[in-house]
This record gives sequence, structure tokens and C-alpha cells, in this order.
Amino acid sequence: MNFAPDTSLDIASAVNRATVPAGATKLKVEKLNFYYGENHALKNINFDIPEKRVTAMIGPSGCGKSTLLRVFNRMFQLYPGQRAEGKILFDGTDLLGKELDSTVVRSRIGMVFQKPTPFPMSIYDNIAFGVKLHESLSKAQMDERVEWCLRKAAIWEETKDRLHTSALGMSGGQQQRLCIARTIAVRPEVILLDEPTSALDPISTSKIEDLIDELKQEFTIVIVTHNMQQAARCADITAFFYLGELIEVGVSADIFTNPREPRTRDYITGRFG
Amino acid sequence: MASLARRRATDYTVKAISTGFAALSIVLLAWILWTLLSRGLPALGPQVFTRVMGPPGAGGGLLNAIVGSLIQIVIALLVGTPIGLMCGTFLAENGRGTQMANVVRFINDVLLSAPSILIGLFVYQLLVVPLGGFSGWAGSIALAILIIPVVVRTTEDMLNLVPIGLREAAFALGAPQWKVVTLVTWRAARAGIVTGILLALARAAGETAPLLFTSLGNNGWSLDMSRPMASLPIAIYQYAASPFEDWVALAWAGALLITVGVLTLNILSRVVLAKIK
Repeated sequence: MNFAPDTSLDIASAVNRATVPAGATKLKVEKLNFYYGENHALKNINFDIPEKRVTAMIGPSGCGKSTLLRVFNRMFQLYPGQRAEGKILFDGTDLLGKELDSTVVRSRIGMVFQKPTPFPMSIYDNIAFGVKLHESLSKAQMDERVEWCLRKAAIWEETKDRLHTSALGMSGGQQQRLCIARTIAVRPEVILLDEPTSALDPISTSKIEDLIDELKQEFTIVIVTHNMQQAARCADITAFFYLGELIEVGVSADIFTNPREPRTRDYITGRFG
Repeated sequence: MASLARRRATDYTVKAISTGFAALSIVLLAWILWTLLSRGLPALGPQVFTRVMGPPGAGGGLLNAIVGSLIQIVIALLVGTPIGLMCGTFLAENGRGTQMANVVRFINDVLLSAPSILIGLFVYQLLVVPLGGFSGWAGSIALAILIIPVVVRTTEDMLNLVPIGLREAAFALGAPQWKVVTLVTWRAARAGIVTGILLALARAAGETAPLLFTSLGNNGWSLDMSRPMASLPIAIYQYAASPFEDWVALAWAGALLITVGVLTLNILSRVVLAKIK
């Protein structure tokens, strides 16, 4: 018996999924450049994100992966001095263009952050907040929606008896699943996850990873992670970024077992980063 | 070893000096409170709350001053709080990092440290002179101007303590900015904001200078805001320096009332803070 951490298992499970059928393209990034003031943070990115698949973006800190995630839901527009050039076709419409309002983009492309960010209100109201922004539901419909998304986020059993208590009293892992539930409640098409487990313990992490596997039945998922095993376990497609450039993108099993680029190999084997 | 002994001696000396001065400040406070209680309590009969101010020896009270103070403070609060709240919100949310915000913040800081008598003179020129007389309205506006910078400052500070992540989370659900502010950041900062308002209120309650040139004071009963209006600080100012024993006693009773009121507000603000946290 060998009790050492066995990473080969993850690679093996990734290999089993090596033949991922290509879904339709949900987000098509075309010639994207991004600037923080003078700082050129993303350089000519071209890349397709398939529908109802998990796409992981990996790379060392500062490589631009979180920046790209924040372009997808136009979060960067909250900050003057940050600007994007190029196109991101979202079901064929440029989401950086004038056709789509940022609140509409954000309702269709949800985001979960690194640290859990429950609002200072009850569990129920945390979910109702986002739903009320876009739909007017009756009390019964809202109850139904709250239960639906809490079930989807695998947290219904833990919360059903305390829906009207403050969300701030939950554990970190529960808070993060509540944040996922809150995002799902708005019924987006795409869910962006920005290092969703880096502030959580291993048990909460594995619950969230199981959840990601469930959610891809219905949603397109893009996850930024520093955890290579997590990318290998969860993602169908993995993209490696380095210094603002997209170095390599492909089926996760290929990226982790047989990368084409020497820089990808160096990163995933821990030689830098 | 000698140096160790010296370090210990230095440590001991510093400790002794700081403890000594801390004790001194508490003693001074206790002394003030004791004087207030010993002089104010005996004068605090029922007539203080039931009778209006009267000539010396006639057994007058402070009813009109108490009611006048309450009315002016409540109106000052109704005028000053929304302005202060919205201005603080502009500084922390909409205007964050803009030149406009820097200018407003600077002016607010100046206003915060402006002598209160200046505010009285300003409102005198602004309202009393053009309208041709002292009035309760002028007093309320002067107190409102006193309240605004305090509320602006605490609101901005409290909103700045709300993590950016909470705002981003609300934006990420597709919320427009005004909903992010009113439903999320205000809510997250509400304990601090309410505390700031209560402290501003406590400050306004004890001010005499802004009222001297505005609501003037009134020895009779009047609820007419367009005429001179009585207030506790002015009554104390007027009575304390008088040669009549019963007036001086009433001044002590009034001072005790204001102190208890301000103390209550301070304690209340701590309770609010502790409860919501």
C-alpha cells in the first residue's frame, strides 16, 4: 500500500475524459487586449469557451487569468483606467459592444469570488436580492426559486430550517455554496468562478468540486484556479496563461499529460510559478 | 545588567506617568459629574419640567427651553442627516477617487473644525438679517450645519470599511449602482452610520454659540418656529451668569439635563453598535 498523495489518479481520471465531445462555442474571445492604465495585461487573446463544459484557466499570479474572467462579466468597467479592446462574442453578440447593457451581461454571466461574500441579510434574502433585480416573482414562486437553487448548490439540507437567519452565521464553506446558489438563482448561462476554493478547507473544497461537476449539465463554467489537481479533476478544457499571453489551450488530459509547450510543462511540473 | 535595571526603571516610569495622567483625566471627569450632580439634583424639581422660565423668585422652570431644544434638534436632524448621508455616500461610492470628491472632502474637514460661533454668524447673515428677525428655523439650520460634517465624515469612513468584494458581488448579480449602495453597502455599514448620527446629535444638543445669533432664546412659551425660540444651552448661558440664586440653581439643573441626555446618546450609540455587530 502506498499512502503518499497519489496524483496519478487525477491524471488517470482526466485521461478517461480525454475525448470530450466539442460543444457549441458559448464565448468566443477575439483579439482581446486589456490594459490597466498603461500596463498591457492581456495580449491578443483568441480562445473559444464551449457550452456546458468546464474550462479552467491556470497560470502563475499576474498572468492575466483573473483579468480575463473579469472581462467576461464586464466587472472591469467599474474601475476607470481599465479598458478592453477586441471582441468577446457571447452567443454571437459582442458583449463588450453597446448592444448589451452591463447589468444584462452580468445577469446572464454570473460570478463567484475567491472569498465568500454573503450580504449582511438572511440566507433567503441573499438569494432573493439577485432574483428581484431581474424578475418580479410572487412569494410562492420566490420560495420555489430559493429552494431550487439551494438544492442545486447542495446546501438545501443544511439551510432549510434557518432560511431567515443571517447568512453571516454560516461556515466559510457554506457561505461559498450560498454564493454559488445566489448566482444560480438568477439563472445565468455562464458561471465564472474566481479561485472559488482557495479560502476553504479540503472538505468544503471537495464539495464545491462535486458541485461544479453537477452544474456543468446546465451551465457553462469558467474557473480560475491555482490548484493544478483541481483543474485536472474538474475541467474539460484547460488554458494556460503566462505574462498576459495565452500559451496553450486544449483538452485537460492533454495539457496535463502531454503539453506541447515547454512553458506549460515547466509550470504544471512546478518548475516555476 | 546595569542596562537591564535602567530599562526596567524607564519602563516603570513611563507606566507610572501614563497611568497617573489617565487617572487624572478620570478624576477631572468625575469631579465635573459630581459638581453637576450635587448642584443640579437639588434644583431638579418637578417645576423644571412643568413650568416655563420666569422672573427671579417666581418659581419658574425650564419647560420652554427643554421643548425648544428638542424641536430645534429634531428639525436640525431631519435637515442635516439626509444631506450628510448622501454627501458621505457620494464621497465613498459614486465620487470615489474623483477630483470633485477630494474638494468636497477637504471643505467638509474645514467645516468639521470650524468654530461653532462662526456657523452662528453665517446663519445670522444668511437667514436672520434677510428675514428680519431671530427664529427657531434659523437655530435649526445652524444646528443642521453643525451636524452635516460629522455625518458626512462618519458615513464615508463607515462605507469605506465595507469590503470592495461585497460591492462587486452585488454588481456581479447585475445590480445597478443605486441598488448596490442602498441595499448592500448602506446595510453593511448601518451600525456605524447610525452611531455617527447619534454622536452628531449629541454634539448639537450641547451647543450654545450657533444659537446665540439665530434662535436667540425666549423666556416665554412659544412653538412658533418663525419667532425666537428658547433652548437649554441658551437658558443655562443666561441663568448661570445671573445674580439670582434660583436662576443659578436652574442653570445647574439644565446643565445636568443636557449632560444626562448626551451621555444617554453616547451609550445608546455604543449599544446600537454592539447589537448589530
